[in-house]
Amino acid sequence: MILVRVVRADDLEALFELATRTGRGMTSFKPDRAALTQRIERVRRSIEGTAALAEQGYLFVMEETESGKVVGVCALEAAVGMTQPFYNYRISTVVHASRELDIWTKMTMLNISHDLTGYAELCSLFLAPDARVAGNGALLSKSRFMFLAQFPERFPQRICAEMRGHFDAQGESPFWSSVGAHFYQIGFDQADYLSSHGKKSFVAELMPRYPVYVDLLPPEAQACIAKTHQDTLPARTLLEAEGMRFENHIDIFDAGPVLESHVDTTRAARESLLVPVELNEHAPAGGVKHLVSNTSLHDFRVILVARAPQDGVLRLTREEAAALGVTDGGESQAVQSVVRVLPLYPKERKS
Amino acid sequence: MLFVRPGRLSDLDQIEAMARAVRPILHSLPPDRRALEARLALSQDSFRADVDTPGEEFYLFVLEDTASGRLFGTASIVASAGYAEPFYAFRNDALIHASRELKVKRRVHALTMSHQLSGKSRMTGYYLDTMIPPELDGALIARLLSRARLMFIAQHRQRFAPEIFTVLVGITDDKGVSPFWEAVGRKFFKRDFAEIELASGGRSQTFIAEIMPSYPLYVPLLPPDAQRVLGEPHPNAVQPYSIHVEDGFEPDGFVDIFDAGPVLTANVAICETVRNGVQRRAIRSGEALNQGTPYLVANALTDEFRCALAYLPNPLPGQSATPLPADVALSDALADCLLLANGDRIRCAPLNPPGERP
Repeated sequence: MILVRVVRADDLEALFELATRTGRGMTSFKPDRAALTQRIERVRRSIEGTAALAEQGYLFVMEETESGKVVGVCALEAAVGMTQPFYNYRISTVVHASRELDIWTKMTMLNISHDLTGYAELCSLFLAPDARVAGNGALLSKSRFMFLAQFPERFPQRICAEMRGHFDAQGESPFWSSVGAHFYQIGFDQADYLSSHGKKSFVAELMPRYPVYVDLLPPEAQACIAKTHQDTLPARTLLEAEGMRFENHIDIFDAGPVLESHVDTTRAARESLLVPVELNEHAPAGGVKHLVSNTSLHDFRVILVARAPQDGVLRLTREEAAALGVTDGGESQAVQSVVRVLPLYPKERKS
Repeated sequence: MLFVRPGRLSDLDQIEAMARAVRPILHSLPPDRRALEARLALSQDSFRADVDTPGEEFYLFVLEDTASGRLFGTASIVASAGYAEPFYAFRNDALIHASRELKVKRRVHALTMSHQLSGKSRMTGYYLDTMIPPELDGALIARLLSRARLMFIAQHRQRFAPEIFTVLVGITDDKGVSPFWEAVGRKFFKRDFAEIELASGGRSQTFIAEIMPSYPLYVPLLPPDAQRVLGEPHPNAVQPYSIHVEDGFEPDGFVDIFDAGPVLTANVAICETVRNGVQRRAIRSGEALNQGTPYLVANALTDEFRCALAYLPNPLPGQSATPLPADVALSDALADCLLLANGDRIRCAPLNPPGERP
């Protein structure tokens, strides 16, 4: 069975091994034992409530319960930009109009912004290639919305997620070549690395301080604006299904879109249900896939169950209940667990 | 003999013909008879007006051949650029983008719409016919036409601002396409350069504020061909450009908002033609000298201002640039042309600024 759970200290080696497989473009999850140790420690303090808001963050791993192998990782930062500024371009509109000449021109501008400061961020999602089978990517990504729905008091009102931007066949970002390269004078990878490792002062020193007129940029740079990297499109689709939307913020280096939402308007917050569990070895499988999470902060877990709640209870097999660490309490209903349940995919809209 | 004088309404036909010959088209010399007529009328009024501080005056000068009465050129001065309106130019600022940690440092240029030239006097509308009489030296005539305006300014300082500037035509191809306009102006105006150039009059129209960028434009983000023409004069403007530079005008970090042509600025007081000019008395003395140093000689009149070239005796080696005697002998032909009687006040300035002389 596949399970998503909060990271533990003993996941270090497994995370290190997983990080060696990420390659380019995963700047926030690198095979660096010291950094990973710190990150796990940070999660522990966040859960215990001893971390300041600026450093609160949660890391989740995907585990194969039979082998105990860690095959995926994803993260949730509680509030970005609280120590180092969180930079984006905000896309804004300026209309230049003259009645005298009968001219009306709508110009699009990029403004450096810190609008997303204090937002929670969905980030660092990586699934090992051999674990990329149906449902796993969705479970891994969406598990974070179950956590948000369960513990909204631990988060600000809004969340965001940065999508990788467009890169050409040579692996270059046309937006970087046309815009960033003129200002930052370093390579894209170096800029991306420094930025994701908290060394952002160069951004303030070198970034364009004035708004940039999009219409004056080369067409290939314009085409990159808010364009998602081909490999990231499935991830974007998953997030959009949960209610996240592109709201005119893009990355300052590759112009990739930022998806945003209010926590309380996410599908998980609006549509998930808290229901008691009932153990039943004969519970039918093969129904609609549901995300099911427990309500434990210290031992948060999410699995997929191919079954909907019925008559106000969710029937679970012994194996499913064990994976979630829940019980029906047997004779004593006082210790009967409740779980949060949400269909893995939203109902298809009828057109 | 060619001389410069104020334009008159009776010059309209000839001025219109010149305006139609100008390439590239100048908003300051529009091929539009009614506009030209209005300008001539304003110019006549301006020369006649009693002015003690620069306002909306406009002074249009023509270059006339005494023998034929034919006009060979025109040049003007706007007393106060923009007058009641702002005068727009792009200021080209260098911004330092440096990071000590990354050990990088770079100057990033940005063009900002600026009103800083507003209210300064502007030399404009320069056009010299290519068909000037062959016995005349074109380089000298060009300087006569351009600098006659400085001779006028030198004698009527209260009519002009202490600082002057000129905007020269920028690079366009033979079809009139300006790479800078294509990269910038067209994006905002969605029209052809020539159309907006004529509509724009003197870079002061309200629509410029409405349409042109309110934020700075980063030069490195512009297409390379637009960057290349920044501050570069059109081939037809290279001569006027050098004439101004010889006079001490400097490319001071401004360019035109439409074609990125160079803007040259100077302080009137330290302008060579003004600084090296002297007041003398004219003595009519028959024949002209055919050797010596070429000088600009102007009468001291306003509405009947005239300026022409004369060869005056060479200064002695080692002497200053103003060795002329108190009474300067001028030929009868020149004195007639300049409307001078014996003893009339004149202003003389070396045609070529000191140091420029061979």
